[in-house]
Amino acid sequence: MHEMSVAMSLLELAEETAAAQGCTRLMRVRVEYGALAGIMPEALELCFEALTRGTAHEGAALELVCLPLRLRCVFCGTVFGGEGQEARFTPCPGCGEVAGHVVEQGKELLLREVEAS
Amino acid sequence: MQIPVVRNVLEANDKMAAEVRRELASRGILALNLISSPGAGKTTLLERTLRDLGGEFRMAVIEGDLQTDNDARRVSATGAQAVQINTEGGCHLNSNLVLSAMEQLDLAGLDILFIENVGNLVCPVEFDCGEDAKVAILSVAEGDDKPEKYPLLFNLAKAMLLNKVDLLPHVDFDTARARAHATRLNRDLAVFEVSARDGSGMEAWYDWLRRMRETKRAQR
Repeated sequence: MHEMSVAMSLLELAEETAAAQGCTRLMRVRVEYGALAGIMPEALELCFEALTRGTAHEGAALELVCLPLRLRCVFCGTVFGGEGQEARFTPCPGCGEVAGHVVEQGKELLLREVEAS
Repeated sequence: MQIPVVRNVLEANDKMAAEVRRELASRGILALNLISSPGAGKTTLLERTLRDLGGEFRMAVIEGDLQTDNDARRVSATGAQAVQINTEGGCHLNSNLVLSAMEQLDLAGLDILFIENVGNLVCPVEFDCGEDAKVAILSVAEGDDKPEKYPLLFNLAKAMLLNKVDLLPHVDFDTARARAHATRLNRDLAVFEVSARDGSGMEAWYDWLRRMRETKRAQR
């Protein structure tokens, strides 16, 4: 549901990045999102397409790359991965602790590359 | 031309949230972002809190709803300042909406600012509004598995209120189960069982507000 807000911010940021290099037309935008960033790729793609349709950026490709979850146990320091929302509450492979894992990677929502002309 | 970059997509929201935070910090105002499903009792909880603590604190409310100013009118009736934001279909409040609502409030001498977010357990969690803490409100008329279904909110919140406990004899809600799941997601979560309708359990919530308020003031 909040993907429209995200797509609007993304488009604005990409336009700004392109404009800084004297470009006005977006061709491809690459975004990295963490597994816990709350992003549904299909929904974001749909919003991005709707926002670019009929503009100079029509047809621009949105490349979405998911960054896997990387957790660190606050008790024993073990770094481990996992999949899905539940992963952050799975027992630490080092000491078995289930709560308080620090998300080292997984909450990102980053614009990483803009291809423009 | 290929332009490599590393920029947070929500940086515009985060920047505005930082601005909200700075403004509130300079005045020592505690800001709480209240998040729940529609109908969990956020407005009723606020009405009672504003009435009961009205002599102790100066409080204001930013009300987020898709439509109507019903909630702002309800909380204004307690004597507190209230500003309504209508998101016109938007499923959450953004920090820029909060910032512009703050401009309509008299912040001088304010102790606590409540931000009543749009009723939704998903989207509001993703957008920082510059608050000191998110407060999750769950009513016992809902499923006791909400913390399992919407883990992010319960993981990030500093407090959870289980509201409408006066209904417990009539519903199947297992408070122990909801508590266990929520605290598994967040070991530091403060949990309060309350009924904003009959007032039971509210004193513990008020004590938490007093402590949070004290901490915020001390940081000024």
